[in-house]
Formats: sequence, C-alpha cells, structure tokens
Amino acid sequence: MSYGLLIPELIIAASALIVLLAVFMKDGGKKFAGYVSIVALLVSLILVLKDGLVTPTPYFNDTIVIDPLSQIFNMIFLLVSLLVVIGGIRYNEDKPHAEIFYSLLLFATLGMMVVAISNDLIPLFVGFELASLATYPMAAFERTKRGIEASMKYFVIGALSSSLLLFGMSYIYGVAGTTNIPQIADALSLNLMKPASLLGLLFIVSGFGFKMALVPFHMWAVDVYDGAPHLVTALLSSASKKMAFVAAFKILVVGLIALRFDWYIGLALLAVLTMTLGNVVAAVQRSVKRMLAYSSVAHAGYIAIAFVVISKSLAEAEIALAGGILHIFSHALMNAGAFIVAAIIAAAVISKVKPGEEDNLDNYAGLGKIAPVTALMMAILMLSLGGVPPMFGFWSKAVIFLSAIKADLLWLAIIGVLNSALSLYYYARVVMYMYYRDPVIERVNEPLMYVLPVAIATMGVILLGLYPPTYEWAFEAARTLLMMGGIL
Amino acid sequence: MIPLEWYLALAAVLFSIGAYGILVERNGLKVLMCLEILLNAANINLVAFSRENLMGQEFALFSIAIAACEVAVGLALLIMLFRYMDTIDLETFNILRW
Repeated sequence: MSYGLLIPELIIAASALIVLLAVFMKDGGKKFAGYVSIVALLVSLILVLKDGLVTPTPYFNDTIVIDPLSQIFNMIFLLVSLLVVIGGIRYNEDKPHAEIFYSLLLFATLGMMVVAISNDLIPLFVGFELASLATYPMAAFERTKRGIEASMKYFVIGALSSSLLLFGMSYIYGVAGTTNIPQIADALSLNLMKPASLLGLLFIVSGFGFKMALVPFHMWAVDVYDGAPHLVTALLSSASKKMAFVAAFKILVVGLIALRFDWYIGLALLAVLTMTLGNVVAAVQRSVKRMLAYSSVAHAGYIAIAFVVISKSLAEAEIALAGGILHIFSHALMNAGAFIVAAIIAAAVISKVKPGEEDNLDNYAGLGKIAPVTALMMAILMLSLGGVPPMFGFWSKAVIFLSAIKADLLWLAIIGVLNSALSLYYYARVVMYMYYRDPVIERVNEPLMYVLPVAIATMGVILLGLYPPTYEWAFEAARTLLMMGGIL
Repeated sequence: MIPLEWYLALAAVLFSIGAYGILVERNGLKVLMCLEILLNAANINLVAFSRENLMGQEFALFSIAIAACEVAVGLALLIMLFRYMDTIDLETFNILRW
C-alpha cells in the first residue's frame, strides 16, 4: 500500500515541527520560519492540485479516505493558510516569536486537513480539536487586552462546542455501534433508534452551530474576529469555519442522512436567522473589521441553505452540495482577501492617522488615492462578496439559490436573494468611501508581502468563477459525498 | 451488571452540571474545570456504550488525551490573562460587545 496521497498532510506536520527550530537561530529565524512555511504549504498545495480528482482511496482500516471532497477542501485550507503566511511575513517583522505563529498556523492547517480526509468520528474529532487548540492562542498573539479577551472567549466557547460535539457523537456511537461514518449511515437506515439518535443530532448540530457561527450561536464569533489580529481573523473565518462545514457535510449528509427530516426545520430556521441577522447587523457597523465579521456570519447562512435543500429533496442534493462547496471556496478567498486588506489599512495606512481606531470606515476614505492597488482589489472583493456578476461570489451564490428553487424552496431562495441585495448596501458603502471621499493623508507605500496574498485572492475571485474545472471539481466532490452516504 | 441507563443518567447529570457551571461561573479556573466535566460526561457515555465493540473505549482514550491538551492551552491562556489583567475573573471582559 502506498501512502503517496497522504504526503501533503505529512509535509505540513513535519514543517510545523521544523519551523519551531527557528528559535535557535541568531535573529530569531523569522525569515527562515516564514519561508519554510510558505514552501511547505506551496508544495502541499501543488501535490493536492496534481492529484486532483482521485478515486476514493481508504487508508488505515478505512478511518481515512482521500477523495475529491477531501482534495477540494484540502486545497481551500492550504490556499487560505498560504495567503495568511505570506501576509504573516510582513506582519511578524516587528513581533517576537514569529516561529510560534507559523507553527500554530501549520498545526491548525493540519487539523483542518485531517477533518477533511477523515471517514471516522475519531480522526474527525481529533482533527477538529487540533485545529481549534492551535487557533485559541493565535487569537491572543498580540497580547493586547482585546486580543486576550478574544482568545479567552474563543477558548471557552470553542471548548464548549467541542464538548457538545463529542457528547452528540457518543450518542450516535451508542445507537449505531460504530464510529465509521458510512457504517453509521447503514446502521441508521435500518433502524432510526429514536429518540437517542435525535439527542445525538441535537448536540452535534449545536456543536457545529457554534463552530460555523450560525445565529443564535454566533455571539462569540464576531467578538473573536474583531479582537484577534487581522491575519488570524482571516484564518479563523476563512479556514477554521469552513472546517466545521466539511465536518458537518460528513456527519449530517453521510452519517445522519436517515434523520434528514428531523434536521430540516431546525436548519432552515438557522439558515434564515443567520442570513438575516448577519446582514442587518453588518449594515449598521462602523468598523470594517466588525462588518466583515458579521458578513461572514451571513455567508455561513447562505452555505447552510445547502443542508436545508438536501433534507428537503434528495434529487437536488448534488447541486445543493456543489453550491455549498463552491460558496465555501469563493467565500474563503474573498474573506481572506478582505481581512488582509483590513490588515494593510491598519498597518500601513491608518496607523499614521488615528491610533486605536484602525478599522473605522472613515479611515477608508479616499483609499483610491492613498493606496490605489489595495483599493482596487478591495473593491473587487467587496463586489464579489455582495454577489455582483461576473465574480466567483456571484456564481457560487447563484448555484445555491438555484438548488433551493429546484427543490421547491422558493421562499428560502427569495429570502436569500433579498439578503444578498441588502448586503450589497454595506459592501458598496466601503467602495463608495474608497472612491468618493477625499483622502485624509498622502499616498503611502503598500507593503508587497501584504499586497501579494490579496492579489492572489482577487485573481482567484475573478478567474475561478469563469473557469469550468472549478465546477466540475465541486460537482464531483458532491457526488462522492452522496455516494458515500449511499444516496447516489 | 449495572444497566446501561444508569451510566447514561450519570453522564447526563454530569453534562448538566458542567453546562450549568459554564453559564454561571465567572472564575476562569472553575470554567475550565466545568469544561473538563463536560468532556468526561461524554467519555462515560462512550465507555458505557462500548459493550459490543471496543471503538468507544478507543474513542474515550483519544478524548482523554485531547482533554489534557485542552487544559494545557486553557491554563496557559489563564496565566496570560492573569499577567495582563491581574485577575482571572471572566466578568472583567467588557471591550468587545456587539
């Protein structure tokens, strides 16, 4: 048996340890740690892309399966981490202990990848916890009062959500008698074993609800996204949150598909509440970082529509899942890019103007003249987040809404489109501030290492939506997942 | 042999104690202990269900190890909290609202 398909994970695990050696270097090894992480992530990303749509390959007694679904999610996680690490080179220039930042980031990426490839509750939970435990300290990386507060909140809520998840998993194990996810699906299709299985479902959905930041479990997320350093926020909202979605795809869509009529109402309610509340509250925010945090809550609501469609109609499950995966992909790119732009503004532009108020919308006034490249990319990212064609954000959202319409959920699609229109208001407001307000300061230098990741994200947002293989990959991933659950 | 229901009831009671503690306690250390109780409630469930095969016990071993890691991270964060704010009272959090 060859372990060739596991090489990306092994590279990340090894580099996470190697990076720590930088502490023995004379200058603290900041550059060394940063470039080792970049190379490791880049090589893994290339390997994942090279293998592409693999035939599902089980490893380790069927606890781990590499399939198109895990490949597309590994690509998303590696890409987001790569963007954050490139930005981290500039960010860590004046910070002590950069190697810890990179090491924690690589461990978090490894945890997410393990979740994406796991086919069993045990590795899924271990990966979930690895990704969470590595990101708790990252939120407090700057050791400011805000950062520590954010980190502590994140820790308590994160630990609570994983306990809920584990408690739910214990009931599912109890009723199914196995921890293998496809076997759970088989066992539950023979005997639903209510109410114990429902109890498990309830705990699992609330555990995931916290991680995915669905309303009413979202309160912590906005505070943490706001209090953490920009780059960490980019990682949390673009990768860590997406990990909860892939875990939920595996557990709900494969393992607990027999209970789908029971999660239909609950998830429909969560999706509608999340979209609406996220967008309404985002519209009144003055801080761009907080606005982006609420917008990322709202986008979780759009993605949650996929679950509702699957529970309503299995015939449309494939397109719904593909839409969910596509929107996860596009939102990861847009969101990571937008948060790194906020980091540029906070670091390079505004710190010269108003200390302590880095993220205020007023600081974006006239950005088109202060930092033209950044402003242009931010405008593209904002329009894509708002769902303006022909950006990726439009196409992915369109696929989700289309699946809702096809599954006779017209009301849900209408709520989604209305929300999308509302969200355009606050995204366009940022663009308006950047181009139609007078600049407060002279033109500044945009740091290359911050601009580069945003440029990658922007290119992705423009091109990937028009690149057919993206859709092929997403649909193939959706089909694999449904086949695993025995639906297709 | 003790029937399964008794174990499940014990786990449910432990889980409720832990959840209650997290909701009302303001002391960081006590919150940390309540989080551990939550994980241990799940462990009891896993081991109690593990009558036909050993997967549950295996899972419980993994989760015990994870609980230990979680305490390590949590205590480190609490130490940092104490160093910078001179308290481990979680009620002092007031910057990030809305």
